[in-house]
Amino acid sequence: MTLLAPRLLAARNAYRGHPRRMWVLGVLAGLFWVGSLVLFVKVLGYFQTIGEFGPLLTQRLLLLIFVSFFAVLLISNTVTALTTFYLADDVNVLLAAPVSRRRLHRARFVETLVASSWMVLLFGLPAFLAYGVVYEAGPVFYGATVLVLLPYLVVPTALGVLVTTGLVMVFPARRTRDAMLVGVGLLVPEQLAHPSGLAGLAGFLAGFEATGSPYLPTTWAAEVLVPLLGGRDGDPLFHFAMLVSTAAMLYVVSATVVERVFLTAWSRAQTGRVRDGGGERPLSRWLERLARPLPRIPALLFQKDLTVFLRDASQWSQLLLLFALVGIYVYNFSVLPLEDGSPLGRAMRDIATVLNLGLAAFVSTAIAVRFVYPMVSLEGRAWWILRTAPVALRRVWWSKFWIGYVPLVGFAALLIAGTNGYLAVPPVLTAVFLATLVPLMAALVSLGLGFGAAYPRLDTQNAAQIATGFGAILYMVTSLTLITLVMALEAWPTWRLLRYYRAPEAFGTGEMAGFAAAYAAAFVAMVAAFVVARRVGLRALERLPI
Amino acid sequence: MIRFAGLRKTYGPLVAVDDLDFEVEPGRVFGFLGRNGAGKTTTIRMMMGLLEPTAGTVTLDGHDIAREPEAAKAITGYLPDRPNLYDKLTSLEYLRFVGGLYGLGTHDAKARGLSLLEEFRLADRAHELIETFSHGMKQRLALAGALIHQPRVLVLDEPIVGLDPQGAVELRRLLGRLAEAGVTIFMSTHSLPVAEELCHRIAIIDRGALVALGTLAELRARAAGSTAGPRDGEPGVAASLERVFLDILEADAA
Repeated sequence: MTLLAPRLLAARNAYRGHPRRMWVLGVLAGLFWVGSLVLFVKVLGYFQTIGEFGPLLTQRLLLLIFVSFFAVLLISNTVTALTTFYLADDVNVLLAAPVSRRRLHRARFVETLVASSWMVLLFGLPAFLAYGVVYEAGPVFYGATVLVLLPYLVVPTALGVLVTTGLVMVFPARRTRDAMLVGVGLLVPEQLAHPSGLAGLAGFLAGFEATGSPYLPTTWAAEVLVPLLGGRDGDPLFHFAMLVSTAAMLYVVSATVVERVFLTAWSRAQTGRVRDGGGERPLSRWLERLARPLPRIPALLFQKDLTVFLRDASQWSQLLLLFALVGIYVYNFSVLPLEDGSPLGRAMRDIATVLNLGLAAFVSTAIAVRFVYPMVSLEGRAWWILRTAPVALRRVWWSKFWIGYVPLVGFAALLIAGTNGYLAVPPVLTAVFLATLVPLMAALVSLGLGFGAAYPRLDTQNAAQIATGFGAILYMVTSLTLITLVMALEAWPTWRLLRYYRAPEAFGTGEMAGFAAAYAAAFVAMVAAFVVARRVGLRALERLPI
Repeated sequence: MIRFAGLRKTYGPLVAVDDLDFEVEPGRVFGFLGRNGAGKTTTIRMMMGLLEPTAGTVTLDGHDIAREPEAAKAITGYLPDRPNLYDKLTSLEYLRFVGGLYGLGTHDAKARGLSLLEEFRLADRAHELIETFSHGMKQRLALAGALIHQPRVLVLDEPIVGLDPQGAVELRRLLGRLAEAGVTIFMSTHSLPVAEELCHRIAIIDRGALVALGTLAELRARAAGSTAGPRDGEPGVAASLERVFLDILEADAA
């Protein structure tokens, strides 16, 4: 407990420092939780109505939940254990203190478990609760769920600690972390919340065996709960005993291994990346050439930001995420049944067209929250360098704006043009969409910089972590509100234009005036968001702590 | 060259810096001394435009840092108490970037950067990422960055902390040379021997307020007047700055 005290006190102080922030987060998490619960109850309720396949599907789903969470937990624990055991600054202090390795292992084990598992618990508990509600299970089911979850969470933590320790013994820790960040970027817990994660669910459900391998802890966990739901017979006590004994055994093994090799592994973990001689790095030269046409300050900031970006492994994993997102988005359009000539096909095409602008903007926001929002925080403790240089803050702001805006607007335009191609949207309408993107993306980037400066995370250099903070959630909510507003304002003119091109029919004067008013209102909303966010962002930059 | 006029910073009821009023002449090394938490770093941050004063102004070579921040910063080099740099840049890339911010062309920044890396014993690490550097190496690199544009004013917050003995000796020599070349140096430090050796004038602050200002001889005279006289040597032998510092703070607290 003594060793965990610094973390607990820090959490308490964070709450005391920003009680309102915690309340807002709590409310948002609560809304998410209730929403997930309702969704799961509906899905499970639906499964129950489809006759004999129903129970089979629900069992598959439960096993699927355990398996997919386990995979995420295993990776997340491995990455977290690397930080808590081998990279955290305070390990030095603990090593110098009269603290046995066994206590150190225990404290760090609990820390790793909590840090890796809370997000999974947040997303997973509504699912388990929904099972209880739909199957009208008794208190034994809920009690058993709690009892099962504890050893279920211990197993991947112990495995994660063992894998990390093994890796550190072979590679220096920083390189291990970089490699892992790239490899698992798509699988860290927060990605679970992303809608794209659900894309493969249907296929997975269809092909997934109802009963998993009898040697896996995920199967044991599911086998404890399924019989308690009354679906079929089983041996919950046996499987629970298997789960608990395996968790206990793995914990003891991880404690013994860490006790034996910790000092060696820790010493190896201190090795950084030193190159074997060599001259100037090619990246500098390429970026210098690329930045040559720009004015001096934007060119410098462009080179610096891009160099830091490309050398940061946590950003590469974000790039992988970007490709996956786009792939899923475009794939969804490619498989829409548009070409069958049926009224349903036509209706789907028209609906998809009207929604396409908003959806593409939504995907762009998901990208902006990972690349634009962290821009200010990534300056980190080195922010003093720009603040003490003879460069006005507004120039720094504009440089960051263009670095974020040009790729984002280009990306969104490609996305719209490509998907509109699938939908056979008339070119005039695509042009209207592209014209909307220009101010919309500017507003989204300005909002990203504004929220990023107002809620900076200067303590971490991990962009993925910055993108999951309180300010990032507010940024997403605000951006989605703006996108919805713009989409709502432009929906009717878009719909009308679409109908005109499908079956020409002259517009009335009143209708034309209505179009103009709708587009003007959308434009004003976007410009207002841009201006206000820029002002707030600049003020926040001035006050950014150094 | 540097002028503080009624500079004050409060955080609610806490007065961090209280009405500082003094000047530093051109080409002088000025020592800014005080206990931990006395307000030295807060003063320096206001001086560099990193923190907004509650009242008062700081002017650097005639440029008010609040009204003409860019002009004031263009002639100033700054070394913070903690040298946080861009870990993912190499040392040469860092110096070229900083040089560019201060208006140096690409080639000038590179040439000047290489020569500074040589001077600060970092030439063999020119293409290494800063994340692999020790604290002392980062400190030397940050100082190289502060000098890249050949500033007329140099503001150093605890420059000796983190340097090895060789680095500390080299820094003292460097500061001496810069002062001879006409650079005005404003330095906060806990190293009293360094202040004693280098500083033409010294200010001591306590709880945000200026409690003593003058040359070392003037401070000695003042300490002698406020106590029973020099205590750490034979009668007639001048008291060390350490003794003077403690005596003045004790007298101020009394």
